[in-house]
Amino acid sequence: MSETTQQNVIIELQNATYYYKTFAEDGTAVQDIGVEGVTLSICEGDFVALVGHNGCGKSTLAKLLNGLLRPTNGKVLVSGMDTADKKCIFDIRKSVGMVFQNPDNQRVASIVEEDVAFGPENLGVPSAEIRERVYKALEQVNMVEFAHSAPSRLSGGQKQRIAIAGALAIQPKVLVLDESTAMLDPLGRKEVLAVAHQLNKQGMTVILITHFMEEVLDANKVIVMNNGHVVSQGTPMEIFTNTKLLEEVGLRAPRAVQLSHLLHQAGFAVTDNNTDIKMLGGEVCQELKR
Amino acid sequence: MLRDVTFGQYYLTKSFVHSMDARIKLILCLLFMVGIFFVQSFVGFAFVALFLLVAIGFSHVPLGSIVKSIKGIIFLLCLTALLNMFFTKDGNLLVSWWIFEIYDQGLIVAAKMLLRLVFLVMGSSLLTLTTTPVDLTHAIESLLKPLKVIKFPAHELALIMSLTLSFIPGLIEETDRIISAQKARGASFDSGNLIKRAKAFVPILIPLLVGGFRKAEELANAMNSRCYEGSTNRTQMRVMKLSWRDLVGALITVAVFATIFVVYAMRSQWSTITWLYF
Repeated sequence: MSETTQQNVIIELQNATYYYKTFAEDGTAVQDIGVEGVTLSICEGDFVALVGHNGCGKSTLAKLLNGLLRPTNGKVLVSGMDTADKKCIFDIRKSVGMVFQNPDNQRVASIVEEDVAFGPENLGVPSAEIRERVYKALEQVNMVEFAHSAPSRLSGGQKQRIAIAGALAIQPKVLVLDESTAMLDPLGRKEVLAVAHQLNKQGMTVILITHFMEEVLDANKVIVMNNGHVVSQGTPMEIFTNTKLLEEVGLRAPRAVQLSHLLHQAGFAVTDNNTDIKMLGGEVCQELKR
Repeated sequence: MLRDVTFGQYYLTKSFVHSMDARIKLILCLLFMVGIFFVQSFVGFAFVALFLLVAIGFSHVPLGSIVKSIKGIIFLLCLTALLNMFFTKDGNLLVSWWIFEIYDQGLIVAAKMLLRLVFLVMGSSLLTLTTTPVDLTHAIESLLKPLKVIKFPAHELALIMSLTLSFIPGLIEETDRIISAQKARGASFDSGNLIKRAKAFVPILIPLLVGGFRKAEELANAMNSRCYEGSTNRTQMRVMKLSWRDLVGALITVAVFATIFVVYAMRSQWSTITWLYF
Protein backbone atom coordinates (compact mmCIF):
# COMPACT_ATOMS: atom_id res chain seq x y z
CA MET A 1 0.00 0.00 0.00
CA SER A 2 2.95 2.33 -0.51
CA GLU A 3 2.60 5.61 -2.26
CA THR A 4 6.05 5.40 -3.81
CA THR A 5 6.30 6.22 -7.47
CA GLN A 6 9.12 3.79 -8.07
CA GLN A 7 7.16 0.61 -8.78
CA ASN A 8 7.48 -2.10 -11.36
CA VAL A 9 4.65 -2.42 -13.83
CA ILE A 10 3.38 -6.01 -13.78
CA ILE A 11 0.35 -5.85 -16.08
CA GLU A 12 0.12 -3.50 -18.97
CA LEU A 13 -2.81 -3.03 -21.33
CA GLN A 14 -2.13 -1.16 -24.53
CA ASN A 15 -5.28 -0.09 -26.30
CA ALA A 16 -6.77 -3.49 -25.49
CA THR A 17 -10.05 -4.19 -27.26
CA TYR A 18 -12.29 -7.22 -27.21
CA TYR A 19 -15.46 -7.70 -29.25
CA TYR A 20 -17.91 -10.51 -28.62
CA LYS A 21 -19.47 -12.14 -31.64
CA THR A 22 -23.21 -12.34 -31.20
CA PHE A 23 -26.08 -12.81 -33.56
CA ALA A 24 -28.85 -10.35 -34.23
CA GLU A 25 -32.42 -11.57 -34.47
CA ASP A 26 -32.22 -11.91 -38.25
CA GLY A 27 -29.20 -14.17 -37.91
CA THR A 28 -26.48 -11.76 -39.02
CA ALA A 29 -23.30 -11.68 -36.98
CA VAL A 30 -22.77 -8.52 -35.01
CA GLN A 31 -19.97 -7.38 -32.78
CA ASP A 32 -20.70 -6.53 -29.20
CA ILE A 33 -18.26 -4.39 -27.33
CA GLY A 34 -16.64 -6.21 -24.43
CA VAL A 35 -13.93 -3.68 -23.78
CA GLU A 36 -12.60 -1.05 -26.14
CA GLY A 37 -9.36 0.89 -26.22
CA VAL A 38 -8.31 0.19 -22.66
CA THR A 39 -4.85 1.44 -21.79
CA LEU A 40 -3.69 1.06 -18.23
CA SER A 41 -0.91 -0.33 -16.15
CA ILE A 42 -0.95 -2.12 -12.83
CA CYS A 43 2.10 -1.98 -10.60
CA GLU A 44 3.52 -4.65 -8.33
CA GLY A 45 2.05 -4.46 -4.84
CA ASP A 46 -0.97 -2.43 -5.90
CA PHE A 47 -4.46 -2.99 -4.57
CA VAL A 48 -6.56 -2.01 -7.53
CA ALA A 49 -10.35 -1.86 -7.44
CA LEU A 50 -12.14 -2.13 -10.77
CA VAL A 51 -15.68 -0.81 -10.53
CA GLY A 52 -18.62 -0.31 -12.85
CA HIS A 53 -22.22 -1.41 -13.05
CA ASN A 54 -23.28 -4.74 -14.57
CA GLY A 55 -22.28 -5.29 -18.18
CA CYS A 56 -19.67 -2.53 -18.24
CA GLY A 57 -16.89 -4.89 -19.31
CA LYS A 58 -15.23 -5.54 -15.96
CA SER A 59 -15.32 -9.31 -16.31
CA THR A 60 -14.19 -9.18 -19.93
CA LEU A 61 -11.24 -7.12 -18.81
CA ALA A 62 -10.49 -9.67 -16.09
CA LYS A 63 -10.50 -12.51 -18.62
CA LEU A 64 -8.07 -10.54 -20.79
CA LEU A 65 -5.61 -10.37 -17.89
CA ASN A 66 -4.75 -14.08 -17.86
CA GLY A 67 -5.37 -14.90 -21.47
CA LEU A 68 -8.76 -16.57 -21.08
CA LEU A 69 -9.69 -14.12 -23.82
CA ARG A 70 -7.20 -12.78 -26.32
CA PRO A 71 -7.62 -9.13 -27.29
CA THR A 72 -9.18 -8.50 -30.72
CA ASN A 73 -6.97 -5.45 -31.00
CA GLY A 74 -4.20 -4.03 -28.89
CA LYS A 75 -2.00 -5.85 -26.44
CA VAL A 76 -2.10 -7.24 -22.93
CA LEU A 77 1.32 -7.75 -21.35
CA VAL A 78 1.89 -9.67 -18.11
CA SER A 79 5.47 -9.25 -16.84
CA GLY A 80 6.34 -8.42 -20.43
CA MET A 81 4.71 -11.57 -21.85
CA ASP A 82 2.03 -11.09 -24.50
CA THR A 83 -1.19 -12.99 -23.71
CA ALA A 84 -1.67 -13.54 -27.46
CA ASP A 85 1.50 -15.64 -27.50
CA LYS A 86 0.41 -19.23 -27.02
CA LYS A 87 3.84 -20.29 -25.81
CA CYS A 88 3.61 -17.99 -22.80
CA ILE A 89 0.05 -18.77 -21.81
CA PHE A 90 0.91 -21.11 -18.92
CA ASP A 91 3.57 -18.77 -17.58
CA ILE A 92 0.98 -15.98 -17.69
CA ARG A 93 -1.64 -18.05 -15.89
CA LYS A 94 0.99 -19.03 -13.35
CA SER A 95 1.55 -15.38 -12.50
CA VAL A 96 -2.09 -14.25 -12.60
CA GLY A 97 -4.36 -16.26 -10.30
CA MET A 98 -8.07 -15.77 -10.79
CA VAL A 99 -11.09 -16.30 -8.57
CA PHE A 100 -14.58 -16.09 -10.02
CA GLN A 101 -18.04 -15.17 -8.82
CA ASN A 102 -19.70 -18.47 -8.05
CA PRO A 103 -17.63 -20.65 -5.71
CA ASP A 104 -19.64 -23.75 -6.65
CA ASN A 105 -18.80 -23.50 -10.32
CA GLN A 106 -15.04 -23.30 -9.92
CA ARG A 107 -14.58 -26.35 -7.80
CA VAL A 108 -13.01 -29.44 -9.34
CA ALA A 109 -12.85 -31.79 -6.36
CA SER A 110 -15.15 -32.67 -3.51
CA ILE A 111 -12.54 -32.40 -0.75
CA VAL A 112 -10.99 -29.05 0.12
CA GLU A 113 -7.32 -30.05 -0.02
CA GLU A 114 -7.78 -31.94 -3.29
CA ASP A 115 -9.40 -28.91 -4.83
CA VAL A 116 -6.60 -26.60 -3.73
CA ALA A 117 -4.08 -29.11 -5.09
CA PHE A 118 -5.57 -29.00 -8.60
CA GLY A 119 -3.41 -26.07 -9.75
CA PRO A 120 0.01 -27.34 -8.65
CA GLU A 121 -0.93 -30.83 -9.89
CA ASN A 122 -1.47 -29.33 -13.33
CA LEU A 123 1.92 -27.68 -13.16
CA GLY A 124 3.65 -31.00 -12.51
CA VAL A 125 4.93 -30.06 -9.06
CA PRO A 126 6.29 -33.06 -7.08
CA SER A 127 3.82 -34.61 -4.62
CA ALA A 128 5.54 -33.54 -1.41
CA GLU A 129 5.82 -29.96 -2.56
CA ILE A 130 2.17 -29.91 -3.62
CA ARG A 131 1.16 -30.79 -0.07
CA GLU A 132 3.39 -28.01 1.27
CA ARG A 133 1.90 -25.48 -1.13
CA VAL A 134 -1.66 -26.56 -0.38
CA TYR A 135 -1.22 -26.14 3.36
CA LYS A 136 0.57 -22.85 2.99
CA ALA A 137 -2.25 -21.56 0.78
CA LEU A 138 -4.88 -22.79 3.24
CA GLU A 139 -2.99 -21.07 6.05
CA GLN A 140 -2.98 -17.81 4.11
CA VAL A 141 -6.78 -17.88 3.94
CA ASN A 142 -7.19 -19.30 7.48
CA MET A 143 -8.85 -22.51 6.33
CA VAL A 144 -6.36 -25.19 7.40
CA GLU A 145 -8.82 -26.79 9.80
CA PHE A 146 -11.19 -27.47 6.89
CA ALA A 147 -8.58 -29.23 4.72
CA HIS A 148 -10.47 -32.52 4.78
CA SER A 149 -14.02 -31.13 4.66
CA ALA A 150 -16.43 -31.26 1.78
CA PRO A 151 -16.76 -27.75 0.29
CA SER A 152 -20.50 -28.21 -0.18
CA ARG A 153 -20.95 -28.03 3.61
CA LEU A 154 -19.09 -24.71 3.99
CA SER A 155 -20.47 -21.17 3.97
CA GLY A 156 -20.16 -18.94 0.91
CA GLY A 157 -17.31 -16.94 2.39
CA GLN A 158 -15.43 -20.10 3.32
CA LYS A 159 -15.97 -21.60 -0.14
CA GLN A 160 -14.63 -18.45 -1.73
CA ARG A 161 -11.60 -18.49 0.56
CA ILE A 162 -10.96 -22.05 -0.61
CA ALA A 163 -11.15 -20.80 -4.19
CA ILE A 164 -8.58 -18.12 -3.30
CA ALA A 165 -6.35 -20.82 -1.77
CA GLY A 166 -6.70 -22.74 -5.04
CA ALA A 167 -5.37 -19.73 -6.91
CA LEU A 168 -2.62 -19.11 -4.32
CA ALA A 169 -1.32 -22.67 -4.60
CA ILE A 170 -0.09 -21.76 -8.09
CA GLN A 171 1.97 -19.03 -6.38
CA PRO A 172 0.87 -16.15 -8.58
CA LYS A 173 2.15 -12.58 -8.45
CA VAL A 174 -1.26 -11.09 -9.15
CA LEU A 175 -4.58 -12.18 -7.71
CA VAL A 176 -7.71 -11.19 -9.65
CA LEU A 177 -11.00 -11.40 -7.75
CA ASP A 178 -13.65 -11.26 -10.46
CA GLU A 179 -16.83 -10.27 -8.57
CA SER A 180 -15.81 -12.84 -5.98
CA THR A 181 -17.81 -11.10 -3.29
CA ALA A 182 -20.98 -10.57 -5.33
CA MET A 183 -22.77 -13.73 -4.23
CA LEU A 184 -21.74 -13.59 -0.57
CA ASP A 185 -23.54 -12.37 2.53
CA PRO A 186 -22.02 -9.37 4.39
CA LEU A 187 -19.99 -11.61 6.69
CA GLY A 188 -18.61 -13.65 3.80
CA ARG A 189 -17.71 -10.44 1.95
CA LYS A 190 -15.83 -9.21 5.00
CA GLU A 191 -13.89 -12.47 5.27
CA VAL A 192 -12.87 -12.47 1.63
CA LEU A 193 -11.88 -8.79 1.70
CA ALA A 194 -9.84 -9.30 4.86
CA VAL A 195 -7.94 -12.12 3.15
CA ALA A 196 -7.38 -9.97 0.05
CA HIS A 197 -5.97 -7.10 2.11
CA GLN A 198 -3.80 -9.42 4.16
CA LEU A 199 -2.34 -10.92 0.99
CA ASN A 200 -1.74 -7.45 -0.38
CA LYS A 201 0.21 -6.54 2.75
CA GLN A 202 2.40 -9.57 2.14
CA GLY A 203 3.24 -8.18 -1.28
CA MET A 204 0.58 -9.69 -3.54
CA THR A 205 -0.81 -7.48 -6.27
CA VAL A 206 -4.60 -7.63 -5.95
CA ILE A 207 -7.18 -6.62 -8.54
CA LEU A 208 -10.61 -6.51 -6.98
CA ILE A 209 -13.54 -6.34 -9.35
CA THR A 210 -16.75 -5.29 -7.67
CA HIS A 211 -19.81 -3.11 -7.75
CA PHE A 212 -19.93 -2.60 -3.99
CA MET A 213 -18.40 0.80 -3.44
CA GLU A 214 -17.76 0.06 0.23
CA GLU A 215 -15.18 -2.51 -0.84
CA VAL A 216 -13.27 0.11 -2.79
CA LEU A 217 -12.43 2.26 0.27
CA ASP A 218 -9.11 0.63 1.12
CA ALA A 219 -7.82 0.21 -2.42
CA ASN A 220 -4.93 2.41 -3.44
CA LYS A 221 -6.17 2.81 -6.98
CA VAL A 222 -9.66 2.75 -8.45
CA ILE A 223 -10.50 2.20 -12.09
CA VAL A 224 -14.02 3.07 -13.20
CA MET A 225 -15.46 1.41 -16.28
CA ASN A 226 -18.54 2.16 -18.31
CA ASN A 227 -19.74 0.63 -21.59
CA GLY A 228 -16.43 -1.12 -22.17
CA HIS A 229 -14.28 1.96 -21.63
CA VAL A 230 -12.17 3.07 -18.73
CA VAL A 231 -13.71 6.41 -17.82
CA SER A 232 -11.63 7.35 -14.83
CA GLN A 233 -8.72 6.28 -12.65
CA GLY A 234 -7.63 7.63 -9.30
CA THR A 235 -7.55 7.19 -5.56
CA PRO A 236 -10.83 6.18 -3.89
CA MET A 237 -11.24 9.75 -2.57
CA GLU A 238 -10.80 11.30 -5.99
CA ILE A 239 -13.46 8.98 -7.37
CA PHE A 240 -15.92 9.36 -4.49
CA THR A 241 -15.85 13.13 -4.59
CA ASN A 242 -16.46 13.24 -8.32
CA THR A 243 -20.24 13.03 -8.02
CA LYS A 244 -20.79 13.93 -11.66
CA LEU A 245 -18.74 10.97 -12.83
CA LEU A 246 -20.40 8.60 -10.41
CA GLU A 247 -23.83 9.69 -11.55
CA GLU A 248 -22.87 9.21 -15.20
CA VAL A 249 -21.76 5.63 -14.69
CA GLY A 250 -24.59 4.74 -12.33
CA LEU A 251 -22.54 4.25 -9.19
CA ARG A 252 -22.73 5.73 -5.74
CA ALA A 253 -20.14 6.72 -3.18
CA PRO A 254 -20.19 4.68 0.05
CA ARG A 255 -22.93 5.72 2.48
CA ALA A 256 -20.50 7.23 5.01
CA VAL A 257 -19.00 9.47 2.34
CA GLN A 258 -22.40 10.57 1.06
CA LEU A 259 -23.73 11.25 4.55
CA SER A 260 -20.69 13.15 5.78
CA HIS A 261 -20.71 15.22 2.61
CA LEU A 262 -24.39 16.13 3.02
CA LEU A 263 -23.93 16.94 6.74
CA HIS A 264 -20.90 19.05 5.95
CA GLN A 265 -22.82 20.96 3.29
CA ALA A 266 -25.67 21.52 5.74
CA GLY A 267 -23.24 23.31 8.01
CA PHE A 268 -22.44 20.69 10.64
CA ALA A 269 -18.90 20.48 11.93
CA VAL A 270 -18.06 17.07 10.54
CA THR A 271 -15.19 16.05 8.29
CA ASP A 272 -16.21 16.30 4.66
CA ASN A 273 -16.17 13.04 2.62
CA ASN A 274 -15.36 10.87 5.57
CA THR A 275 -14.89 7.19 4.75
CA ASP A 276 -14.76 6.07 8.36
CA ILE A 277 -18.32 5.48 9.53
CA LYS A 278 -17.32 5.14 13.19
CA MET A 279 -15.46 8.45 13.15
CA LEU A 280 -18.45 10.06 11.48
CA GLY A 281 -20.69 8.64 14.19
CA GLY A 282 -18.43 10.12 16.87
CA GLU A 283 -18.48 13.49 15.22
CA VAL A 284 -22.24 13.47 14.91
CA CYS A 285 -22.54 12.65 18.64
CA GLN A 286 -20.22 15.51 19.46
CA GLU A 287 -22.39 17.83 17.38
CA LEU A 288 -25.55 16.67 19.09
CA LYS A 289 -24.10 17.19 22.57
CA ARG A 290 -23.13 20.73 21.73
CA MET B 1 -37.47 -34.16 -2.04
CA LEU B 2 -34.61 -34.68 -4.47
CA ARG B 3 -31.96 -34.39 -1.81
CA ASP B 4 -31.77 -37.94 -0.58
CA VAL B 5 -29.81 -39.29 -3.50
CA THR B 6 -26.93 -41.02 -1.78
CA PHE B 7 -25.05 -42.11 -4.85
CA GLY B 8 -21.75 -40.30 -5.19
CA GLN B 9 -22.02 -38.89 -1.69
CA TYR B 10 -18.96 -39.46 0.37
CA TYR B 11 -19.46 -40.14 4.06
CA LEU B 12 -16.66 -38.32 5.85
CA THR B 13 -15.15 -40.26 8.74
CA LYS B 14 -12.04 -42.23 9.62
CA SER B 15 -12.14 -46.01 9.45
CA PHE B 16 -10.40 -49.15 8.34
CA VAL B 17 -12.31 -49.23 5.05
CA HIS B 18 -11.84 -45.50 4.43
CA SER B 19 -8.08 -45.78 4.68
CA MET B 20 -7.83 -48.72 2.32
CA ASP B 21 -6.36 -48.04 -1.08
CA ALA B 22 -9.03 -46.98 -3.58
CA ARG B 23 -7.64 -49.27 -6.27
CA ILE B 24 -7.90 -52.31 -4.02
CA LYS B 25 -11.41 -51.30 -2.95
CA LEU B 26 -12.46 -50.90 -6.56
CA ILE B 27 -11.12 -54.30 -7.55
CA LEU B 28 -12.69 -55.93 -4.49
CA CYS B 29 -15.98 -54.22 -5.27
CA LEU B 30 -15.89 -55.63 -8.80
CA LEU B 31 -15.12 -59.06 -7.36
CA PHE B 32 -18.07 -58.64 -5.01
CA MET B 33 -20.39 -57.66 -7.85
CA VAL B 34 -19.38 -60.65 -9.95
CA GLY B 35 -19.30 -63.01 -6.99
CA ILE B 36 -22.81 -62.17 -5.83
CA PHE B 37 -24.17 -63.78 -9.03
CA PHE B 38 -22.55 -67.05 -8.10
CA VAL B 39 -24.38 -67.29 -4.79
CA GLN B 40 -27.21 -69.78 -5.10
CA SER B 41 -28.41 -70.82 -1.68
CA PHE B 42 -29.91 -68.85 1.16
CA VAL B 43 -27.04 -70.04 3.31
CA GLY B 44 -24.75 -68.39 0.76
CA PHE B 45 -26.71 -65.16 0.98
CA ALA B 46 -26.51 -65.26 4.76
CA PHE B 47 -22.76 -65.70 4.39
CA VAL B 48 -22.54 -62.65 2.08
CA ALA B 49 -24.80 -60.64 4.40
CA LEU B 50 -22.49 -61.43 7.29
CA PHE B 51 -19.48 -60.34 5.24
CA LEU B 52 -21.28 -57.15 4.21
CA LEU B 53 -22.23 -56.36 7.80
CA VAL B 54 -18.67 -56.85 8.97
CA ALA B 55 -17.41 -54.60 6.16
CA ILE B 56 -20.00 -51.94 7.03
CA GLY B 57 -19.03 -52.23 10.68
CA PHE B 58 -15.39 -51.59 9.84
CA SER B 59 -16.36 -48.62 7.65
CA HIS B 60 -18.10 -46.67 10.46
CA VAL B 61 -20.79 -45.71 7.95
CA PRO B 62 -24.22 -45.81 9.62
CA LEU B 63 -26.32 -48.65 8.25
CA GLY B 64 -29.05 -46.09 7.52
CA SER B 65 -26.94 -44.33 4.88
CA ILE B 66 -26.40 -47.60 3.08
CA VAL B 67 -30.01 -48.71 3.32
CA LYS B 68 -31.00 -45.32 1.95
CA SER B 69 -29.18 -46.13 -1.28
CA ILE B 70 -31.66 -48.96 -1.88
CA LYS B 71 -34.55 -46.50 -1.87
CA GLY B 72 -33.43 -45.18 -5.24
CA ILE B 73 -33.90 -48.50 -6.99
CA ILE B 74 -36.98 -49.70 -5.14
CA PHE B 75 -39.06 -49.65 -8.33
CA LEU B 76 -36.51 -51.77 -10.16
CA LEU B 77 -36.43 -54.19 -7.24
CA CYS B 78 -40.22 -54.62 -7.20
CA LEU B 79 -40.36 -55.06 -10.96
CA THR B 80 -37.62 -57.70 -10.95
CA ALA B 81 -39.21 -59.55 -8.06
CA LEU B 82 -42.65 -59.54 -9.71
CA LEU B 83 -41.33 -60.69 -13.08
CA ASN B 84 -39.38 -63.50 -11.47
CA MET B 85 -42.38 -64.47 -9.41
CA PHE B 86 -44.80 -64.77 -12.31
CA PHE B 87 -42.54 -66.11 -15.02
CA THR B 88 -40.89 -68.94 -13.15
CA LYS B 89 -42.97 -72.05 -13.83
CA ASP B 90 -41.17 -74.55 -11.63
CA GLY B 91 -42.10 -76.55 -8.56
CA ASN B 92 -45.55 -76.73 -6.96
CA LEU B 93 -48.37 -74.45 -8.02
CA LEU B 94 -49.38 -72.32 -5.05
CA VAL B 95 -51.86 -69.76 -6.40
CA SER B 96 -53.56 -69.55 -9.75
CA TRP B 97 -55.75 -66.65 -10.76
CA TRP B 98 -56.70 -65.68 -14.32
CA ILE B 99 -53.42 -65.76 -16.25
CA PHE B 100 -51.27 -65.46 -13.14
CA GLU B 101 -49.73 -68.51 -11.61
CA ILE B 102 -47.36 -68.48 -8.70
CA TYR B 103 -45.15 -71.48 -8.06
CA ASP B 104 -43.08 -72.01 -4.93
CA GLN B 105 -39.90 -71.99 -7.01
CA GLY B 106 -40.97 -68.61 -8.37
CA LEU B 107 -41.08 -67.17 -4.88
CA ILE B 108 -37.66 -68.56 -4.12
CA VAL B 109 -36.13 -67.26 -7.35
CA ALA B 110 -37.72 -63.85 -6.77
CA ALA B 111 -36.42 -63.67 -3.22
CA LYS B 112 -32.92 -64.61 -4.33
CA MET B 113 -32.93 -62.04 -7.13
CA LEU B 114 -34.11 -59.41 -4.69
CA LEU B 115 -31.35 -60.25 -2.23
CA ARG B 116 -28.79 -60.24 -5.01
CA LEU B 117 -29.77 -56.75 -6.21
CA VAL B 118 -29.99 -55.34 -2.69
CA PHE B 119 -26.52 -56.67 -1.83
CA LEU B 120 -25.19 -55.41 -5.14
CA VAL B 121 -26.36 -51.87 -4.40
CA MET B 122 -25.23 -52.02 -0.79
CA GLY B 123 -21.80 -53.25 -1.77
CA SER B 124 -21.27 -50.62 -4.42
CA SER B 125 -22.56 -47.82 -2.22
CA LEU B 126 -20.15 -48.95 0.47
CA LEU B 127 -17.43 -48.21 -2.08
CA THR B 128 -18.75 -44.74 -2.94
CA LEU B 129 -19.48 -43.86 0.68
CA THR B 130 -15.98 -44.71 1.85
CA THR B 131 -14.04 -43.43 -1.15
CA THR B 132 -13.96 -39.83 -2.31
CA PRO B 133 -14.84 -39.34 -5.96
CA VAL B 134 -11.32 -37.98 -6.37
CA ASP B 135 -9.77 -41.15 -4.99
CA LEU B 136 -12.09 -43.23 -7.08
CA THR B 137 -11.08 -41.44 -10.24
CA HIS B 138 -7.42 -41.67 -9.26
CA ALA B 139 -7.98 -45.40 -8.86
CA ILE B 140 -9.74 -45.76 -12.21
CA GLU B 141 -7.07 -43.67 -13.86
CA SER B 142 -4.33 -45.74 -12.30
CA LEU B 143 -5.99 -49.05 -13.21
CA LEU B 144 -6.62 -47.91 -16.78
CA LYS B 145 -3.11 -46.54 -17.20
CA PRO B 146 -1.84 -49.59 -19.10
CA LEU B 147 -4.41 -48.77 -21.80
CA LYS B 148 -2.53 -45.53 -22.55
CA VAL B 149 -0.42 -47.63 -24.88
CA ILE B 150 -3.38 -47.76 -27.25
CA LYS B 151 -3.99 -44.00 -26.69
CA PHE B 152 -6.92 -44.57 -24.37
CA PRO B 153 -7.60 -41.23 -22.60
CA ALA B 154 -7.56 -42.62 -19.06
CA HIS B 155 -6.95 -39.31 -17.27
CA GLU B 156 -9.55 -37.37 -19.24
CA LEU B 157 -12.16 -40.06 -18.70
CA ALA B 158 -11.42 -40.17 -14.98
CA LEU B 159 -11.65 -36.38 -14.67
CA ILE B 160 -14.96 -36.25 -16.54
CA MET B 161 -16.33 -38.85 -14.17
CA SER B 162 -15.17 -37.06 -11.06
CA LEU B 163 -16.54 -33.70 -12.25
CA THR B 164 -19.85 -35.32 -13.09
CA LEU B 165 -20.02 -36.82 -9.63
CA SER B 166 -19.17 -33.62 -7.84
CA PHE B 167 -21.65 -31.60 -9.92
CA ILE B 168 -24.60 -33.88 -9.22
CA PRO B 169 -25.51 -32.34 -5.82
CA GLY B 170 -25.34 -28.84 -7.34
CA LEU B 171 -27.57 -29.82 -10.24
CA ILE B 172 -30.05 -31.46 -7.87
CA GLU B 173 -30.20 -28.28 -5.82
CA GLU B 174 -30.74 -26.25 -8.94
CA THR B 175 -33.52 -28.58 -10.10
CA ASP B 176 -35.19 -28.14 -6.73
CA ARG B 177 -34.94 -24.38 -7.08
CA ILE B 178 -36.35 -24.35 -10.59
CA ILE B 179 -39.25 -26.58 -9.58
CA SER B 180 -40.05 -24.26 -6.68
CA ALA B 181 -39.80 -21.23 -8.93
CA GLN B 182 -42.15 -22.76 -11.51
CA LYS B 183 -44.56 -23.89 -8.81
CA ALA B 184 -44.59 -20.37 -7.40
CA ARG B 185 -45.79 -19.20 -10.79
CA GLY B 186 -48.61 -21.70 -10.81
CA ALA B 187 -47.10 -24.63 -12.69
CA SER B 188 -48.40 -28.00 -11.60
CA PHE B 189 -46.41 -31.17 -12.01
CA ASP B 190 -48.71 -33.76 -10.54
CA SER B 191 -52.04 -33.27 -12.27
CA GLY B 192 -53.35 -34.18 -15.70
CA ASN B 193 -52.56 -37.16 -17.86
CA LEU B 194 -49.16 -38.56 -18.63
CA ILE B 195 -48.50 -36.37 -21.68
CA LYS B 196 -49.53 -33.26 -19.80
CA ARG B 197 -47.23 -34.13 -16.96
CA ALA B 198 -44.35 -34.84 -19.31
CA LYS B 199 -44.94 -31.48 -20.96
CA ALA B 200 -44.88 -29.78 -17.57
CA PHE B 201 -41.27 -30.86 -17.21
CA VAL B 202 -40.11 -28.93 -20.26
CA PRO B 203 -40.00 -25.62 -18.31
CA ILE B 204 -37.74 -27.38 -15.81
CA LEU B 205 -35.43 -29.04 -18.29
CA ILE B 206 -34.72 -25.96 -20.39
CA PRO B 207 -33.44 -23.74 -17.56
CA LEU B 208 -31.57 -26.71 -16.15
CA LEU B 209 -29.85 -27.30 -19.49
CA VAL B 210 -29.01 -23.63 -19.96
CA GLY B 211 -27.73 -23.46 -16.39
CA GLY B 212 -25.67 -26.57 -17.01
CA PHE B 213 -23.93 -24.98 -19.97
CA ARG B 214 -23.26 -21.82 -17.97
CA LYS B 215 -21.80 -23.86 -15.13
CA ALA B 216 -19.67 -25.81 -17.58
CA GLU B 217 -18.28 -22.63 -19.09
CA GLU B 218 -17.44 -21.13 -15.73
CA LEU B 219 -15.81 -24.37 -14.69
CA ALA B 220 -13.78 -24.47 -17.89
CA ASN B 221 -12.59 -20.91 -17.24
CA ALA B 222 -11.66 -21.77 -13.66
CA MET B 223 -9.77 -24.88 -14.77
CA ASN B 224 -7.95 -22.95 -17.49
CA SER B 225 -7.03 -20.25 -14.99
CA ARG B 226 -5.47 -22.93 -12.85
CA CYS B 227 -3.22 -24.05 -15.70
CA TYR B 228 -5.10 -27.19 -16.71
CA GLU B 229 -3.74 -28.74 -19.88
CA GLY B 230 -4.88 -32.33 -19.84
CA SER B 231 -2.75 -35.20 -18.63
CA THR B 232 0.60 -33.89 -19.90
CA ASN B 233 3.15 -33.40 -17.13
CA ARG B 234 0.52 -33.76 -14.47
CA THR B 235 1.43 -34.93 -10.97
CA GLN B 236 -0.75 -35.88 -8.03
CA MET B 237 -0.65 -34.69 -4.46
CA ARG B 238 -1.74 -38.00 -3.04
CA VAL B 239 0.62 -40.85 -3.69
CA MET B 240 -1.28 -44.10 -3.50
CA LYS B 241 0.47 -46.55 -1.24
CA LEU B 242 -0.58 -50.03 -0.26
CA SER B 243 -0.65 -50.81 3.44
CA TRP B 244 -1.33 -53.80 5.67
CA ARG B 245 -5.02 -52.83 5.67
CA ASP B 246 -5.22 -53.47 1.96
CA LEU B 247 -3.65 -56.88 2.40
CA VAL B 248 -6.02 -57.83 5.23
CA GLY B 249 -9.12 -56.49 3.45
CA ALA B 250 -8.18 -58.15 0.19
CA LEU B 251 -7.40 -61.47 1.84
CA ILE B 252 -10.73 -61.58 3.67
CA THR B 253 -12.76 -60.60 0.63
CA VAL B 254 -10.93 -62.97 -1.68
CA ALA B 255 -11.33 -65.78 0.86
CA VAL B 256 -15.08 -65.14 1.10
CA PHE B 257 -15.59 -65.17 -2.63
CA ALA B 258 -13.20 -68.01 -3.26
CA THR B 259 -15.43 -70.04 -0.95
CA ILE B 260 -18.48 -68.92 -2.90
CA PHE B 261 -16.93 -69.86 -6.23
CA VAL B 262 -15.85 -73.23 -4.93
CA VAL B 263 -19.29 -73.95 -3.49
CA TYR B 264 -20.87 -72.89 -6.78
CA ALA B 265 -18.58 -75.13 -8.73
CA MET B 266 -19.26 -78.08 -6.47
CA ARG B 267 -23.02 -77.65 -6.42
CA SER B 268 -23.44 -76.76 -10.01
CA GLN B 269 -25.31 -79.18 -12.21
CA TRP B 270 -22.74 -78.71 -14.88
CA SER B 271 -19.91 -79.12 -12.45
CA THR B 272 -17.96 -81.13 -14.93
CA ILE B 273 -18.07 -78.31 -17.47
CA THR B 274 -17.37 -75.58 -14.93
CA TRP B 275 -14.40 -77.40 -13.57
CA LEU B 276 -12.81 -77.11 -16.98
CA TYR B 277 -12.79 -73.34 -16.59
CA PHE B 278 -11.24 -73.36 -13.17
